Amino acid sequence: MPLLTGVSVDQILFALLNGTIYGLLLFMVSAGLTLIFGMMGVLNFAHASFYMLGAYFAYTLQPLTGFWLAIILAPVLVMGVGILVERFILRHVHEHGHAHELLVTFGLSVVIAEMIKMVYGKFAVDYRVPAELNFAAFSLSGIDYPFYRLLMGGIAVVMFIAIWLLLTKTRVGIVVRSAIYRPQMAEALGHNVPMVFMGVFGIGAALAGLAGAVAGAFYTTNPNMALELGVMVFVVVVVGGLGSMGGAMAASLLIGITNSLAVGSDLRIADLMSLVGMGGWAEDLGGLLTMRMSSLAATLPFFIMLLVLVLRPSGLMGEKE
Amino acid sequence: MALRTFARSTAAMALAIGATAAGAEPLKIALVETLSGPQASTGLLYRDAVKYQIGKINDAGGFGGEPIELLEYDNQGGPVGAADRVRAAISDGADVILQGSSSAVAGQVTEDVRKYNLRNAGNEVLYINLGGEAMELTGAKCHYYHFRTSPNAAIRVNTLLDGMSEAGVLGGKVYAMNQNYSWGIDVQDNTVAAADRLGFTVVEQTLHDVNKIQDFSPYVQRIQAAGADTVITGNWSNDLLLLMKSASGAGLDVRFGTAFLDQPGNIGNAGAVAEGHFLSAPFNPEVNQDQTAGFMEDYKSVTGHYPSYVEPVTVFGMMLLQEALKAVEPTEDGLNAADLAVALENATANTPMGTISMRAADHQAVLPMIVQEVSRDAVYKADNTEFGFVPIKVIAARDAEQPVQASCKMKRPG
Amino acid sequence: MKFAPLLLLATVALLIALPWLVSGSMLNAAVQMLIAALFAMAFGLLCGQAGMLSFGHAAYFGVGAFAAVHAMNAFGGAGLLPTPLLPLVGGATGLISGLVAGYFSTKRTGVYFAMITLALAELLHALASHLKAVFGGEAGVSSFRMPAWGIGFGSLTDVYFLTLVWTLLCIGLLYLFSKTPLGRITLGLRENAHRLRFLGYNTHALGTLIFAISAMFAGIAGALQSMNIEAANYVVLESHISTAVVLNSFIGGVRVFLGPAIGGAVMTFFGYVTSDLTRVWLLYQGIIFVLVMMFLPRGLVGELVERLRHRSGQGVARSLGATLLRLLCLAVAAAGAVFLIEFLQRFLSSEYRAGVSEGNWPAISLFSYDWAPLSVLPWAVGLGLFGLGIALVVTVNRRVADRQEAQA
Repeated sequence: MPLLTGVSVDQILFALLNGTIYGLLLFMVSAGLTLIFGMMGVLNFAHASFYMLGAYFAYTLQPLTGFWLAIILAPVLVMGVGILVERFILRHVHEHGHAHELLVTFGLSVVIAEMIKMVYGKFAVDYRVPAELNFAAFSLSGIDYPFYRLLMGGIAVVMFIAIWLLLTKTRVGIVVRSAIYRPQMAEALGHNVPMVFMGVFGIGAALAGLAGAVAGAFYTTNPNMALELGVMVFVVVVVGGLGSMGGAMAASLLIGITNSLAVGSDLRIADLMSLVGMGGWAEDLGGLLTMRMSSLAATLPFFIMLLVLVLRPSGLMGEKE
Repeated sequence: MALRTFARSTAAMALAIGATAAGAEPLKIALVETLSGPQASTGLLYRDAVKYQIGKINDAGGFGGEPIELLEYDNQGGPVGAADRVRAAISDGADVILQGSSSAVAGQVTEDVRKYNLRNAGNEVLYINLGGEAMELTGAKCHYYHFRTSPNAAIRVNTLLDGMSEAGVLGGKVYAMNQNYSWGIDVQDNTVAAADRLGFTVVEQTLHDVNKIQDFSPYVQRIQAAGADTVITGNWSNDLLLLMKSASGAGLDVRFGTAFLDQPGNIGNAGAVAEGHFLSAPFNPEVNQDQTAGFMEDYKSVTGHYPSYVEPVTVFGMMLLQEALKAVEPTEDGLNAADLAVALENATANTPMGTISMRAADHQAVLPMIVQEVSRDAVYKADNTEFGFVPIKVIAARDAEQPVQASCKMKRPG
Repeated sequence: MKFAPLLLLATVALLIALPWLVSGSMLNAAVQMLIAALFAMAFGLLCGQAGMLSFGHAAYFGVGAFAAVHAMNAFGGAGLLPTPLLPLVGGATGLISGLVAGYFSTKRTGVYFAMITLALAELLHALASHLKAVFGGEAGVSSFRMPAWGIGFGSLTDVYFLTLVWTLLCIGLLYLFSKTPLGRITLGLRENAHRLRFLGYNTHALGTLIFAISAMFAGIAGALQSMNIEAANYVVLESHISTAVVLNSFIGGVRVFLGPAIGGAVMTFFGYVTSDLTRVWLLYQGIIFVLVMMFLPRGLVGELVERLRHRSGQGVARSLGATLLRLLCLAVAAAGAVFLIEFLQRFLSSEYRAGVSEGNWPAISLFSYDWAPLSVLPWAVGLGLFGLGIALVVTVNRRVADRQEAQA
C-alpha cells in the first residue's frame, strides 16, 4: 500500500485522536449555530464572534476570578450579549426577511471585531492554559499528549449529551422543538415563542462563548480568531444538516478527522493515477494533480460541503430542506 | 481623502503665500501601509517608526530648508487598495513611496512604480521597501527605483543557521516547516541550500496553508517522526505561535529557529513555550548598549513604547534615506527622484547596530544581523513577560551579505 | 417621475466632465466607484431580480480579472485584443464559468444556493494560491496597458473614460435586459418559482442563464479592475470581496434598478475617504450596515423611490420638511457617536496607555481641542450630543405621527 508507507500505527492513532478533539471543538462552536438555525432559519454570521467574545471575556476575568470561574462566567456574559442582540436587533429585522437577518449579523460581526481591537489591541493577548492544567495526559512513542486537549474534548462531549437530554427528555425541550417545528401552533397553545427564541439564541451564544473560553487558552486569543473559524463553522452546520444537532456532531468529527489525516499525508492525485497507469501523464500535466494532499488540507472541508450540497442537500442528518 | 486633501492644499497655499521667499515646495513622502483591518497591527508599527525618524530628519532641518511632509495612506491590506493609494500618493505630489508589511502588496507597489516611471520619464518616483522580504523583489522583479532596506529570506535564514551552528545548537537534523507561499518557499530553499555548507541534513520539508490551520498537532507528529533536532521556520503570527505551542504541548524536544518571533504579542502569548528558541533579526537592544540604550529610550519617549519587530530596521532604513537626502539638491517641487536614487545607491548610515549600506547592484540593504535566543536573562523584556531576547552572535554586515541573484537584470537610466 | 431621464442625463454629463472637475486622487476614487457600481449591478441582477443570494460572486469577478490580465500579456505583451476591447475577455470568461457554476448551484435554492456559491468561491480561492502558473502566487500577475486606437491608456484620465464607457454600456444593457420578456420572467423566478415551473418554464435552465449573465457582468467589472491596476492577485477571490458586494447592493437597495450601483459607489467612496481619516473606519462601516438593515430595509435608493412613489408633488414638499428635520437631528446624534468612538479609540490606544503613569492622565487631543479624560466634559459632550439627537428624532417622529393622525 503506497498510502501507508512510513506511517506507524501510533501515528495514525494520534492523527485520529487529534482529529477527534479538533472536531469536538468545531462541534462546540457550531452546536449553538445549528440550534439557532433550526429555530429561526437564520444563518448567524456573528456566531463565531460570540466564540471570540467568550475567549476575551474569560481572559479578562481570569486574573480576578481564577481560571475555572472565568470559564463559567464568560459564557454567561456572552449569553447576555446574545440576548441583547436577539431582542434589540434581530427581532427588529425579522420582518424584513432572512437575507436581512443574515446581513445584519454580518454587520454585527464587523462591529464586534472592531470593538475588540479597540479595547484589547490588535495583537494576540496572553491568555494561556493555567500551569496546573498544563501537563501530559499520556505518552505514545515519544510524543506527549496534552491533558488540556482531552479536557476540551470532554467538555464538548458533556455539552453534547446535556443538550441532547435537554431537547429530548425535558418539557423545555419539547416546547423548544415545537416552537422550531410549528411556531404558530406553539404560540396558539400559549407558549411565549419570542421568549423561547430569545432563550435559544442566548444559549446558542453561550455555547460558542464556552468554546471560546476553553479553546482560546489553548490556541490563541486574537482579534482574528472569529474570522479564522467563522467559515468552517458554516461548513459544519451545512454538512451536518441545518438544524440537526447529531448532524453537527457527525460533520464536526468528519471534518476534524479528514483534516488531521490529510495534513499528515503526502499523497498526490498523480500517485493515485499511477495505480491505473496514468502516473506519467499526470506528472507531465502538473498543477493540481501533483499537489500534495497536505497542502490541500484547508480546501477539503469546502469540497466535502460541495459534495454534500449537490448529492444530499439536506446534509448528513438534516430533515427539512 | 477629499477633506484632507482640501485641508492640505489650503495649508500649502497659506504656506506658499506666507513664505514666498523660501520658494521650494516641501518634499513629500508617502507611507502606503495597512492601517486598518486584520493585518493592521504591523502596518501601524511601520507608521510609528517612519514618523519617528522623519521627525528626527525634520528636527535636523528637514530637506531644502523645509520640513519633510509625511502623507499617510491606508492600503486596506491588499494589492488593489495599494495600487489605488500609490496612484493617489503620486497625484498628491509624493516623490518617495514607503511600504513594508506584506510581500504581496510590495510586489504590487514595485510594479506600479516601475510602470509609472516608464510612462513618466523625467518625473520618476522612488519606492523604498521597508519590509517585503520575498527574494523576487530584488530578483526577477528588481528595478532601478526599488530599494529594500530590510533583510530578505536569504539573509535571515543563512545568518540564523550560521549563528545557531556556531553556538552549537543547530544539531544534525533540521526540519524545514514553512507556509506555502513565496516567502515560505524562499526560507525552505535557503535552508536546503545551506545544508552542505554547515553539515546538517534536512530531514523533511513541509509547506502548509497560510493562516488557515487551527490545529498543528499533525505537523508536530511529523516533526517527531522525522527525529529533527531543530525546526527552521519562516512562519509568522498565528502560524508560528500555534506551531510552537503544539510542539511544546506534545513535549517535543526541538529548538525552533525563526524569522519573526519578535512580533509583539508572540512572547506574551507563548510565554515559557518560547524559551530557548532562536531568531535572526536586524536588531537587539543589548548590542552596543552605550548607543542602543539612548535610541531605545528616545524612541519610547516619542512613540510610547520600545522599538521592536520591524520598527528598528525601519528607522535604520529611514536613516539611509536621511543620508542620501544630504547629497541631493532640492528642486521646485521637492526633489528629482532620479538624483535621490543615485544618492541612495551609495548611501551608508551609522546605526546603533553598526554601519548599514545600500548595495547598488540589486538595491538590497547590507546590514548586520543578530542571532538571538529567548531567555529570562534579557535586559529588555518582551510583552511584559519575564522573557526577552539575548544576543547569541552579532553577524557583521559583510558576513550577513548574500550574493546578488542572477535573476536581477536591473536597467539603469542612461 | 418625469424628471428621472433629466436627472440621468445630468449625472452622465457630470461623469463625463469629472476629470476636469476633481483632483487626481478623487478621479482615482471615481474609477473604483464605477467598478464597484458595475459589480454591484451584476450582483443585483441575480439577487434583486432573480432572488438568488450569492455569497461567492468574487469568484466571477476574479476570473474576469485574471482572464483580462492574461489577455493583456498574450503574444508577448501585445494583447489578445486592442486594450479597449479587453473587458470582453473578462466577460466571456465570466459567462462560461457562470454557466458551469450556475448549473450546479441553481439546482438548489435559498440558503443551500448561497452555501454552494460560497463553497465554490472558497474552493477556487484556496486552489488559486497553489496554482502559481495561472494565478501568479501571492505576488499576482502583472501586465501593461498597451496603447490602442490612438489612445495611450497611460494616464488616469484615459483609464477613467475606458471604465466609464464600459460601466455605462453594461448598465444600459442590464436595463434593456430587464425590459425583455426574459428579464420579466426573471422576476417571476424570484416571486414564485413553483408557479413558473407550473407554467411550463424550465426554471433550472432559466436560473443557470441568469446566473451566467450576472457572472458575465461581474467578469467585466473584474477585467476593468485588473486593467485599472495592471495586475491581478488571487486576493480578489477572497470571501470579503463577495460579502462586500452583497452589503453594498443591499445598502443601495437591491430591488430597485440603480440601487446596487449607487450602494457600491457610495460605500466605496465612504471607504476611500474614511480609511485615511480614522483608524476605525471598519467599525463605522459595520455600524452603518447594521443601521441600514434595521431602519432602511429597502436600502437607501429603495427607500427614496418608495417615498416618492406614494406621494403627490405636494406631499413630497410637505414631508420634505420633516425629513430634513430628522436628518438634522440624526446628524447631531451621529456627531455625538463619532465623538465618543474617536475619543474612546484614542483613550484605549496602546500609545495612550503607554503614556499613562501613576495617576497622570495626559489630555487627549481630538477635533483640535485637548480633553482631560478623567473630567466629565468629553463624556458629557459625546453622550449628550448622541442622546439629544436621538431624543429629537423621537420627538419629530411623534409630532409627525400626531399630525398624520389628526389629518386622518
